[in-house]
Amino acid sequence: MLTTGYPLVRSLQISFYKWSVLPTQASTFIGLDNYVRALADPQFWTSVVNAGVYLLMSVPATVALGLFFAVLLQKKMPGRTLFRVLFYIPVVTSWVVVSLLFKFLFTTDNGAVNWFITDFLSLSDHAVPWLEQRWTGLIAISLLGIWKNLGWCLVVFLASLGGVGEELYEAAALDGANAWHKFVHVTLPGIRGTLLFVLVLQVIGAFNVFPSVLLMTNGGPAGSTEVPLTYMYKQAFSFLDFGYGSAMSFILAIFIFVVSFAQFKFFGEKKEALR
Amino acid sequence: MMKKLFTLSSIALLAAAGLTACDTGGGGAQPAAVSTLATGAAVSGEITFWHAYSAGGGEIKALEKTIIPNFEKLHPGVKVKAVQIPDKDMHQKLVTAAAGTSLPDVIRADIVTVPELAKIGVLTPLSEAMPDFQSWADKMFTGPLATNKYNGKLWGLPLDTNTKVVIYNDEALKANGIASVPKTMDELKAAADKVGGKYILAEGGSGAWQMLPYIWSNGGDMTDPDVKKSAGYLNGPKSVAALQLIVDLYNKKAIPGVILGGSGGTPTGDGLPKGMYPTIVDGPWTFPNMATSYPTFQPKTSPMFSGDGGSVSVVGGEDIVMTQQSKNKELGAEFIRYMLSPDAQKAMGQVGQLSAEKDMAESMASIQPYYAAFLEQLKTAKPRPATPQWAKVDDIFTKQAQLALQGKLTAQQAMDAAVAQIDPLLAQG
Repeated sequence: MLTTGYPLVRSLQISFYKWSVLPTQASTFIGLDNYVRALADPQFWTSVVNAGVYLLMSVPATVALGLFFAVLLQKKMPGRTLFRVLFYIPVVTSWVVVSLLFKFLFTTDNGAVNWFITDFLSLSDHAVPWLEQRWTGLIAISLLGIWKNLGWCLVVFLASLGGVGEELYEAAALDGANAWHKFVHVTLPGIRGTLLFVLVLQVIGAFNVFPSVLLMTNGGPAGSTEVPLTYMYKQAFSFLDFGYGSAMSFILAIFIFVVSFAQFKFFGEKKEALR
Repeated sequence: MMKKLFTLSSIALLAAAGLTACDTGGGGAQPAAVSTLATGAAVSGEITFWHAYSAGGGEIKALEKTIIPNFEKLHPGVKVKAVQIPDKDMHQKLVTAAAGTSLPDVIRADIVTVPELAKIGVLTPLSEAMPDFQSWADKMFTGPLATNKYNGKLWGLPLDTNTKVVIYNDEALKANGIASVPKTMDELKAAADKVGGKYILAEGGSGAWQMLPYIWSNGGDMTDPDVKKSAGYLNGPKSVAALQLIVDLYNKKAIPGVILGGSGGTPTGDGLPKGMYPTIVDGPWTFPNMATSYPTFQPKTSPMFSGDGGSVSVVGGEDIVMTQQSKNKELGAEFIRYMLSPDAQKAMGQVGQLSAEKDMAESMASIQPYYAAFLEQLKTAKPRPATPQWAKVDDIFTKQAQLALQGKLTAQQAMDAAVAQIDPLLAQG
């Protein structure tokens, strides 16, 4: 309560002030000005749209691939443990390290990705300036997101898959179901709760994407790859505008809450319909 | 889930709120009376000194093994605790410490942060506190000294300085068909036209640090001399023409994409010795770095490309300042005096830090031959506008310059938009 509640209430308070850094200096109460300013700030909206694009590019792929490999790795096969470990390694590595690694891979001149595209596959005769433009930058950041989060989804799905009754698969087999039918009619309903849990957390995670953007593009060029957290961070720590940063974070929190609520609603109804 | 939601979505505010263990109401700013810190007074006790000297180049060794022990020998019984804070963390660390009233006594602060620190009330104005201030100020080059100015007072003294000159790779120039290094902006343009599509020059970004030398050398400026307005200066014909030149070079592929912020390209300090970039505009710190990574490469220097305004580069470096919170200002002042003494300045000169003191120039040039070009350039170099709003101003300028480079706005439109955003900030002071 103290560690979460106090800072939350405190930052809510800050968001209504033109906040002074020094405790000895007075902060000015400005009501909802910071909120109004954020809603009218095109850069804030660009950052929200970028987070949305990141979400669409990374979350479906992360969850689908996580589930796909979880189903594969659930089966008894040689090297199963090794593969499970390999998939989980990105999860436990530092965001800072892998962000710098990906930045290096996507370097325009002499980057490994451009080498692969131009020299190896001969898809293009000129290097793609990945991190120097908006959409290609977001693609690179999304690929890192997928690679980094895949293992976590996989492990959660693996745990959940173990809980789906073997007898259900046997019954489906007796009814003549093939592997795809079993997946759609037995596996998916069996792990629906887990799927929702993974999806909601991944969506929240996508809105909170931060170190990868800060280190790979730093929101540039011209703020075109800025996401909400990098923008808030700059307002607070570069411009000392703590009130504005706090206000934006509350707007984002409300936004995430609404999206998560919608996800529960959407999946809940579907569950009812199936019964 | 609710709790989880809020926990996750408030990562940023946790950090922000964590800083502010303080009372909102506050009593209003009560600037403490400035005590007089006379030279030669008996000093005792301990002070803490924050700096961002680099560990790699021998700077920390010079500070901790030579300078501080010598100072402590001069004043038996005193202790200076030096704390290194990486350059990129310094600003955030200072802000956090200011909010938590846990600032050190003396800080080696980046010159662009001094007016901001003065404005938020964490500094002691040295021009009022030190009776011998003027004698120190008189020793300094005017460019570095001006970076300490805010609200009619001088809040610190230049501890070290630097500027940028043209550094070039002779072989790469010739390989790209350019016989000799361009001396003027016209020659730069002509060279790009001549060798179409090949790199002439690389800049690692499009902020004021990179663009102002072109603007100044072309006879333009960012603001009026009092830093009250940018209208008519930054969007004036000379400034816009300078930016247009850079945009044209970029469009002709004479400048690589690293100018958009350096995220995806080869850094200029690597591209030059590798022969990818024939010329760069950079500071003295690149020499030790290149000597380590590319021992066979022989960099050459030339003054900043000149134009209607002459050859004008930008002043970088650090100032030494004292905090308002310091409990031992007498010792702090004495330490500042020692850091500016010939002994300490020479010790730092050995490891790559140029002195900002006029009468040290000769001895600096004898320490490292490559210093000469920078010392010469410093005679005309200008500081970036001293304003507490600098971080925001630079961010606005950088973004607009990038929009011009990307072709989304013309150079004139970009600078008009920059002026419209910058002037209200400058009006706040």
